[in-house]
Amino acid sequence: MTIYSFWIFDRHCECIYHKDYKRPYRQLRSKPDLGSDSIDEKKQQSGGPPTGKGPLSVDDDAKLVFGVVFSLRNIVTKLAGEKESFFVFRTSKYKLHFYETQTNLRFVMITDLKVDGIRPILEQIHAGLYVEYIIKNPLSPVEHTNGVGVNNELFSLGLDRFLRPLSIFE
Amino acid sequence: MARTPRQVGEEVWKTRIEKVNAELVTLTYGSVVAQLCKDFGNDYIQVNEQLDKMGYNIGIRLIEDFLARTNTSRCRTFKDTAEIISKVGFKIFLNITPTVGNWTQDNKQFSLIFDENPLADFVELPDDGKAVNELWYSNVLCGVLRGALEMVQTQVEAQFVSDVLRGHETTEMRVTLIRILEDEMPVGDD
Repeated sequence: MTIYSFWIFDRHCECIYHKDYKRPYRQLRSKPDLGSDSIDEKKQQSGGPPTGKGPLSVDDDAKLVFGVVFSLRNIVTKLAGEKESFFVFRTSKYKLHFYETQTNLRFVMITDLKVDGIRPILEQIHAGLYVEYIIKNPLSPVEHTNGVGVNNELFSLGLDRFLRPLSIFE
Repeated sequence: MARTPRQVGEEVWKTRIEKVNAELVTLTYGSVVAQLCKDFGNDYIQVNEQLDKMGYNIGIRLIEDFLARTNTSRCRTFKDTAEIISKVGFKIFLNITPTVGNWTQDNKQFSLIFDENPLADFVELPDDGKAVNELWYSNVLCGVLRGALEMVQTQVEAQFVSDVLRGHETTEMRVTLIRILEDEMPVGDD
């Protein structure tokens, strides 16, 4: 089981946090062989941001991911009523998990196919990390506009510390 | 959700809230108001406004904490919203449950009547003849409600209409629903 990437979008539809863990789904798109997995491992351990080597930049990815979850969520509520929301969708290669708070913060996690029912994990990221480190931090702005995003070390560290010991993170 | 707002409020209050000394809160809030009065040369209209602004900034953060702690599902009607505010919101943060009442016909306006108000313990308004008519001492609460509700797509106006500190019989806040906000759409991508 593995996590490919994690995204947070705010109510203004902007990507305010993004982290790539492994990204075979990107490689699948750009080149068919999966042989360079170890390189990805190294990159992830050094903690450096992924270099946009694929055909699309992280910004474009963010727009695509948001576009998908936003449309899907709107379709779901149109079909089944306001209270309905979607949790996950899968393709043949990956799963996309979605959690939206009532304040329209959207948490998205893309994982491989074996990961199941991680909604509680997304809820915990919101309640235990986002609220604790960003909302309750008086010096952290409430809105993260203009692409600055959540620039908060405690949150990033906390997220890492929270995710790495989990069985879904391998 | 099978449980009533009252039960949720009680449970969260008992199990998931760290308590602080109530007098600490009262005295801290008191010094804030006193300082504002000093800073604005006893222009109480301005003080009300500042308190409301401060409250708003508190509210837009507090709502996240509220949701994280209570797991409340979305309110279907404004009546539900009022119940949750009183029985869960005020309960878990101030340990009071103001009475909801005085609904207007169209269900868009209600009152919160505060039997007790921890912010105003020990308080006497200044004796300058002005404060009694102008200062809404607990105005921060109006801002908190406005901010918190705006974050859950509910735009309201909130103001006090009476206050025991001014010699009225009750402390009452009017909350008016302005509109339900639409979700923001992503900006067009050309």
